[in-house]
This record gives sequence, C-alpha cells and structure tokens, in this order.
Amino acid sequence: MVGPAVALLFLMTIGPLLFSLVVSFTNLQFSTPQPMRWVGLDNYLTLLFNDSRFLTALGRTLGFVLAGVAVQTLFGYFIAWLLLHVNRFRAFVLGPILIPSVISSVVAGWQGRMIFNASYGPLNDVLAHLGIKGPAWLALPQTALLSVFITDTWQWTPFLALVILAALQSQPQELLEAARLDGAHGWSMFRRITLPLVLPVAGVGILLRGVDLFKTFDLVYILTQGGPGNSSETLTFLTYLQGFKFFNPSYASAMSFIQLLLVTIMAKSYLGLVNRRGAH
Amino acid sequence: MSKRFVIDLLKWLAIFAVLMVLLFPIFWIIASSLKARGEFFTRPPVWVPANPEWLNYPDSLRRGGMKGLIDSFTIAFFSMAISLVLGAPAAYAIARFQVGKKNLAFWILSIRMFPPIATILPLFVIFRFVGLVDSYAGLVLCYTVFNLPFAIWILKGFIEELPKEIEEAAKVDGATRFQIFRNIALPLTAPGLVVVALFTFIFAWNDFAYAVIFSGSNVTPLPVVIAQFAGGHEILWGQISAIALIAILPALVLATFLQKYLTRGLTMGAVK
Repeated sequence: MVGPAVALLFLMTIGPLLFSLVVSFTNLQFSTPQPMRWVGLDNYLTLLFNDSRFLTALGRTLGFVLAGVAVQTLFGYFIAWLLLHVNRFRAFVLGPILIPSVISSVVAGWQGRMIFNASYGPLNDVLAHLGIKGPAWLALPQTALLSVFITDTWQWTPFLALVILAALQSQPQELLEAARLDGAHGWSMFRRITLPLVLPVAGVGILLRGVDLFKTFDLVYILTQGGPGNSSETLTFLTYLQGFKFFNPSYASAMSFIQLLLVTIMAKSYLGLVNRRGAH
Repeated sequence: MSKRFVIDLLKWLAIFAVLMVLLFPIFWIIASSLKARGEFFTRPPVWVPANPEWLNYPDSLRRGGMKGLIDSFTIAFFSMAISLVLGAPAAYAIARFQVGKKNLAFWILSIRMFPPIATILPLFVIFRFVGLVDSYAGLVLCYTVFNLPFAIWILKGFIEELPKEIEEAAKVDGATRFQIFRNIALPLTAPGLVVVALFTFIFAWNDFAYAVIFSGSNVTPLPVVIAQFAGGHEILWGQISAIALIAILPALVLATFLQKYLTRGLTMGAVK
C-alpha cells in the first residue's frame, strides 16, 4: 500500500538530488558550448573561499533567519498571550488573525509593493502624519531587505501565535497551580515552568519557520528582485539567478547542496536543543 | 471600575490593534481593487475610492486572470486528488502495519525541509529533456512531491486516533485488509481527508517558486500571472489588486471553516 507513494517520491526527490550532486562536480553551463568536464570540488571551493557575493548572501540569509525567528516568536508569543486570556470570542478573533498565514506569498508581496510605495503608499502617508519622512522603502539598499522582513513578519507571526497558543493551552493546569502555591511567579514561573512546557510543542513550529525563512524566495522576487544592487539578495534567490538567469547549473547545484547541508544541520541541532530543554 | 475590568479592556484594545495591523493590507487590496486609474497617483493616497471601479475585475480576468484561475484550479485539483489517492493507503499501512516506520517518517519530514531550489534545478533539466516544462503534468508532479508527504503524515495521525477494535472485528468476520481499509478506516477518516484535501489544494494554489520556473506560454498559474502583471512596464494597480483578491479567496475559506484543524495542517500534524 505504501509502494506507489514511495516510488513517486523516490523518483522525484532522491533521483534529481543525485543528478544534481553529480552536476555540482562538473563545469556544466548552458551559456557556453564548452564540453562538460569533471572538476571535482572546484565549484565548492570557489563558493566558500572566492565568491564574496555568495558569502555575503549567506551571512545576510543567516541574519534574516535569526532575526525573523526572534521577532516573530516574540510577537507571536504576545498575541498568543493576549488570546489565552480572552475566552469568549476567541474563535471569532482567531480566524481573521490567521488570514495572512494562509494567503499566497505573491499576494503578500503585491500588498507590500503598494504599501511600501514611497510616493503614493499608505505607510509613508501615515508616517508623514506623525511628522516622519518615510524612506523610499524598496528602492534603498538600507531598507529593501527590511521591507521584505516586515512583509514576512506580517505574514507569518500569526502562524507562530497559533502554535504558541496551542502550546500554552496544553500546559497542565495542576502543575501551574502547584508552582504558584510553591511561590513561583513572574519571570521564575515563566523560565522554570512555562518555557520547558511550551518549548517542545511550539518548537516544531519555530523550527518550520526557521527553515522557511532560510528558503525566502517569493517575497524577494516580488518586492525587490534582490536589489537595489545585491542588497536584499537571499541565498535561494542567488541560487535561482545562477541557475536560471546566468545559466550556470553546475555552480547553482553546488550552492544548493551547501544550503541543503545547512538546513539539515540547523534542523538537527535545533531538534536536539528542544529535546534537551524539554526533558528537564 | 475594578482593576480586572481595566486589564480586560486593555487586552481587548491590544487585540483590536493587532487585528488592525494584520488586516490592513487585506483592506488595502480590497480598496485598491475598486479604485479608478487616477486614484493611485494622489498624495495623500485615496483610502476609500469615491466611485467603486468594478470594471477592474472583468478587465483583470480578460487580461490573463481567467486563464490563470483555470490553470491554478486544474493543477491544484489534480495534485490534491493524487495526494489523496496515493496518500491514504500509504498512511493506513504506516499507521497500522508499522511499515518502515522510523526511516520513512524522517524521510517524509525532510522532504518538507528541502529548499525547493535544490530539487527545482535538476528537475528542470530532467523536465526539459522529457518535455514536461510548461505542462500541467509537470507542475502537478512537483506539487504532489510536497503534498504527498504532507497527506501521508496528517492522515497517519488521524488513523492512529481511530479505535482498532472495529477493524479487528471486521477481520474476524473475514474481511480482507483492503476491504477494511476501504469500507471502515477510510469513511472514519473523513475529517482528515477534508483537511488534507483543502490544505494540499491551497499549497499548490499558493505556490510561486515552482510555478514561476516550470510555467511558460501554455501554463500560467495565478501567482505567475500576478507576478508578470506586477513586473510589467505599465503596472495596472487596480486590475492586479482585483485578481490578487480573487487569488486569496480559497485561503479565506480555509481560515474560516477549518480553523479547528489549522494548527495541525500548518505544523505537519506536530501540534494538534
């Protein structure tokens, strides 16, 4: 009964990955008619030691992931905390709150294009009323990535709020009561009781978010195309450029394998962390 | 006023503020889809259009939106159908007969973690070779690759919650494994099937990464149509907003009617 499903998945994942692993050790290019040659680790060595554009994108992406996870978890926690304390109408509020997380990222990007519009957008209009002159969000190297970040945070904070709410609701009430009787309150209550209980449950959601932030592509494509200059170029967007705009599949394959490795390490170490904390 | 009342009031105000921030972009799309051309280039911007320009809707459909809708629907529907047909028996086997439990589970989850770009590149070379670029089948295949693991995983969770006793009784009465699956387990998993159907449909409907690379002049899913519109020389703000609003309708249905199962779907069943 598992056969057909496994066969299809195998054919569509392991197969192409092996194929691309082989390609990453060659100099295959679509733009020049040079004969394909085995180059060993050359692509990887160039990437890691000689390609500043790649290394910059790598650093930028890691920063994006860390900041995204931190900010979205914090906001998510706040929203979950608010919702936890209102019992009536919670279901009523939850639906609308979750809308951003279920819509297409292309639509989210399109909204960003209108809202961040420097001259005619509502954001700078509101800022002007507050006496602040808003920047040309998408056209400045200092704010382009920030705009992508804000859009992503808008779209995905509700998802984390939902997960953290579920985690908070799953805390056994007796345990909270007992801790309170023992004199735990405020910060010590949060650190010793709530956090260890919530982390394993919410951890999966935070992990998924981290992985998805690492893969950020759609919003960059719609909002900035990696620009101005390369200022908002994420790793997946650069890989896309190398593969499909510069027609350099071997180089792009090497790049995607480095990402695959990083995602795996991230996921593994994170799961280890969550399990250890949860065990206490 | 009691202290408790004040705190409650503050919390509701905070919730209201959160809702305003989260829903403002949606409001802005609705307003924009009804603005006339000139209303996009005023300072300060027009917040509510004076005379709704309904023509943005038929116009956006005529300019490629209709084709986008049909293509997106076709692709999302078939990916959903295949994921259910292949996923349900696989999930049943994993849940009940522990087929390859540990490794399979890890593998299924890691497909969810894959950066799509890692598989898109080799798939593109292969698809070009076998003529699947710019075809419905190509995109249906791509989406099924991430929808099928999702379907198996979620359905496995639902099946594990079913009591085993009914199935055991049927077995004693001489029913075959497949009969038990089809006549007993499957109907009882109906809520799970609905959840999986809606989520797999939305995943395929919303995707952009695969769509932009594997589409062409024959096949143009809705997100690609929107991106093309938005990247064009002359940006048709009203029409794009109209088609963008149509594009999020299925997701709104999901958020409204399947709220109970949203957490489960969005976290791959890790949080129930």
